[in-house]
Amino acid sequence: MNITSRNILSLTTAIAVVSGSIAQAQTLDMDALIAAAKAEGTLTTIALPHDWCNYGAVIEGFKAKYGLEVNELNPNAGSGDEIEAIKANKDNTGPQAPDVIDVGLSFGPAAKAEGLIQPYKVSTWASIPDTAKDAEGYWYGDYYGVLAMAVNKDLVTDASPTSFADLKDPKYAAMVAIPGDPRTGNSSMMSLYAAGTATGAKGGADAATAGIAYLKALKDSGNFVEVGGSSQNFAQGTTPIMFDWDYNILAMRDNLAGNPPMDVVIPSDGVIAGVYVQAISAYAPHPNAAKLWMEYLYSDEGQLGWLSGYCHPIRFDDMVARGVIPADLMAKLPPAEAYAKAIFPTLDEQSAAKAVVAETWANEMGVQ
Amino acid sequence: MKRSIPILPAITAIVAASYFLVPLFATFYFSLKMTRGTLSFASYQSVFQSDEFLATLGYSTLASLAAIVMGAVIIVPTAYWVRLKLPKLRPLVEFISLLPLIIPAVVLVFGYIRLFGSNSYLPMTSTDHGTNLLLVFGYVIMSMPYMYRAVDNGMAAIDISTLTEAAQSLGASRLRTIATVIFPNVRASIIAGSFLTFSISLGEFVLPSLLNRPAFGPYLVQLGQDRAYEPAALAIMSFGFTWGCMVLMQAFANKKPGQGVLPRLPFLSRKERRA
Amino acid sequence: MTMTPTAVSGEDHAATPGPRLRSTFGWSWLGVVPFFVFAFLFLIGPLLYLILGAFQNSDGAFTFDNIVALGGANIVASFSLSIRLSLLSAAMGAIAGLLLGHAVVLGGLPKWVRNAFMTFSGVASNFAGVPLAFAFIATLGRLGLVTVLLRDLFGINLYAAGFNLFSFFGLALVYLYFQLPLMLLIITPALDGLKSEWREAAEILGATRRQYWQMVGLPVLTPSILGCFLLLFANAFGTLATVYALMGSGFDVVPIVLFQQIRGNVLYNPNLGYALAVGMISIMALTNILYLLLRRRAERWQK
Repeated sequence: MNITSRNILSLTTAIAVVSGSIAQAQTLDMDALIAAAKAEGTLTTIALPHDWCNYGAVIEGFKAKYGLEVNELNPNAGSGDEIEAIKANKDNTGPQAPDVIDVGLSFGPAAKAEGLIQPYKVSTWASIPDTAKDAEGYWYGDYYGVLAMAVNKDLVTDASPTSFADLKDPKYAAMVAIPGDPRTGNSSMMSLYAAGTATGAKGGADAATAGIAYLKALKDSGNFVEVGGSSQNFAQGTTPIMFDWDYNILAMRDNLAGNPPMDVVIPSDGVIAGVYVQAISAYAPHPNAAKLWMEYLYSDEGQLGWLSGYCHPIRFDDMVARGVIPADLMAKLPPAEAYAKAIFPTLDEQSAAKAVVAETWANEMGVQ
Repeated sequence: MKRSIPILPAITAIVAASYFLVPLFATFYFSLKMTRGTLSFASYQSVFQSDEFLATLGYSTLASLAAIVMGAVIIVPTAYWVRLKLPKLRPLVEFISLLPLIIPAVVLVFGYIRLFGSNSYLPMTSTDHGTNLLLVFGYVIMSMPYMYRAVDNGMAAIDISTLTEAAQSLGASRLRTIATVIFPNVRASIIAGSFLTFSISLGEFVLPSLLNRPAFGPYLVQLGQDRAYEPAALAIMSFGFTWGCMVLMQAFANKKPGQGVLPRLPFLSRKERRA
Repeated sequence: MTMTPTAVSGEDHAATPGPRLRSTFGWSWLGVVPFFVFAFLFLIGPLLYLILGAFQNSDGAFTFDNIVALGGANIVASFSLSIRLSLLSAAMGAIAGLLLGHAVVLGGLPKWVRNAFMTFSGVASNFAGVPLAFAFIATLGRLGLVTVLLRDLFGINLYAAGFNLFSFFGLALVYLYFQLPLMLLIITPALDGLKSEWREAAEILGATRRQYWQMVGLPVLTPSILGCFLLLFANAFGTLATVYALMGSGFDVVPIVLFQQIRGNVLYNPNLGYALAVGMISIMALTNILYLLLRRRAERWQK
């Protein structure tokens, strides 16, 4: 059974690759794509929480504009889940098979290597920075944000801390938290990485080692809280200073609506940015709907949708240059100077850091 | 033999009750704090505004009830047979019944999609009905450890071989023995197992979320994600709803032989007045 | 000397009627076929992917690397932590459940108390994960309701005294919230089965309460208690969401290590994850064998 299905699968992949390549050669016929997508009728997404980059509004906008239905699978899914979902649904064309995925940067090349995604270059391909996309069009960055701190002003009544160095102050005892486990959550991993660069380490494995050392020092001094930072724990008071992507923190500030009042601070000594990438599944049951979704996301309308969720869309610089971003949306974002010195860890740096964390986190920080 | 309230059991019950109720109260108290400075039900209103609440709740309740019935029908005869006739298989059956506790639900659901996807021999995911059935089967599997253990304990407490002999010597067939003698005698265990099945199925999130079914679990998660006060309100509400269902099930389950369908409520039973 | 298990079956009694005496054993298999077919299709089937995956690497080739990796120091420490926590949690749940069960079923309390506890247990046994962790954080966390009350009303500072919810014992306390109801629900039918005639007979013969429990009550209940202990152990062993929600990053039980490899956003080695699951299944098999040995001893007085 295994051998024949594997042959068939590799044949299907080959056909998908070839047809994807042919698609690149043609210029985009939008009407034909819309008609083909409508014929398919639905799009299946996975791992898109409504409050993450305002995906709720983005999905509604897509549904309203093209009249398609959207099946939303597990919004809690991690990148590993999404890859697993594609693998499990190889032979399944039902509504359980995801058409498109939104995964962490390192998962893009991994998915491409396993033959799980198909290439597609959107019409605005040229305005996506080269460092954030696969040259052959398999995966492409969609948005980025930098790590920020949320500070609960009910509990931190003095001036908020402004840097990683500030957090070592004893007055922040039992206050500092990261979103969860750095071996599971991308934002936790990047918090650690940012702490490492704040102490002066260069990127990659050094930043991870320095970051773990920083967090361990914080834990030994009693400033670190083991509980993962979340909106609920933040409001309750267990994690008054928590790290997360700036878009999540800003969305949290909107949701909490001043209860408790909070500050959003981008640490001055370690500004790390993280990119997520989009891709179309190689086994997508609705490939045209998937392509239309990508066209929508990378159009100005889709990119502004993400911006309204405080995510920096990948074509941000291009859109600023063309002056298409409304002034009120710009005003709601943190000041641009904070992003000027943002470091984007490369794929190699990230994998080196991950290897270090996988090895040493348990020893340094865990209960044994 | 009527004593006044016994001290030690009462203290035990009170200590246990406070252990259970205080964390719930803390959650409830937090859920009331959504409007700054006062206590209000704002988080509950925010939750009720969605129109999918009733639809997903109804779907999950139906699926849970189906899982209870199916679980009882599969497991009770098996436990009975294994105890009575095939004791050598008992270790294997027990081991199988414990496996769902160890297997992550996500592995289970991806296995289902691989095995029963649209290109397989049994394409259950191709149709809505097929997928619903697959979901119910998943619920039965996930609650199997509890249902089996409860029923097995119940059978340990009654003497099933004597009951079986008595039934057979009166001429009952196997099926009739199981249906009319065994089932009623392990009713308390089945009820306990049903409680567990119901609460597991109602709150289960991974299975319906990846099978794309409109169940209550995914709805709860979508609503409460990244929020602070609404998840606390949702937890309290779903706790209350599930408890209410259990109380109803308990009332129906406590029938004595010769009673009508309705439970023994004081104002319903007229026979009491003649005494 | 030891009763052979075949005596348990009703075959040997002359009362069994009908000419099917000889071939009954052959037909008995049919009774469990539905269960095995169902289990095979919907439990063992998906499990096979997991087991096969444990022996493959990311290219699909056969390898023992993942199994060998299970011997690494971090993973062995995880298994040790998981087993210790599960044993403690199961013991706590079993003892507390037995005491509460006795109080509620046999203690002479009004009937509504029993019903209230049983129905509540049905819900509480599944109350786990983020809601449970948050409930305890809101109660016994550093700014929890009880912590603050104790500090303001009685001047007792729990955390200064050494209590820490975010520790091994704190986690066991949180686990108790779903272990205790589970034990209560499942031991109650066995408690119901303790016939009052035995109690009366023991009292007539002059036994004290302690002697009754020691020589009659507990031995009768022991097989059921062992079964419940095993269930509680497996239940604690497989718990993931509660640990993650309460401890965040500091508590590497095996389900969390599995989660990191299969479902996370940072590491991704699903084959190692499958190997971990196979390890968990092996631990369960071992505890099951232990349970069988203990239960056989406990059941030897039964016919």
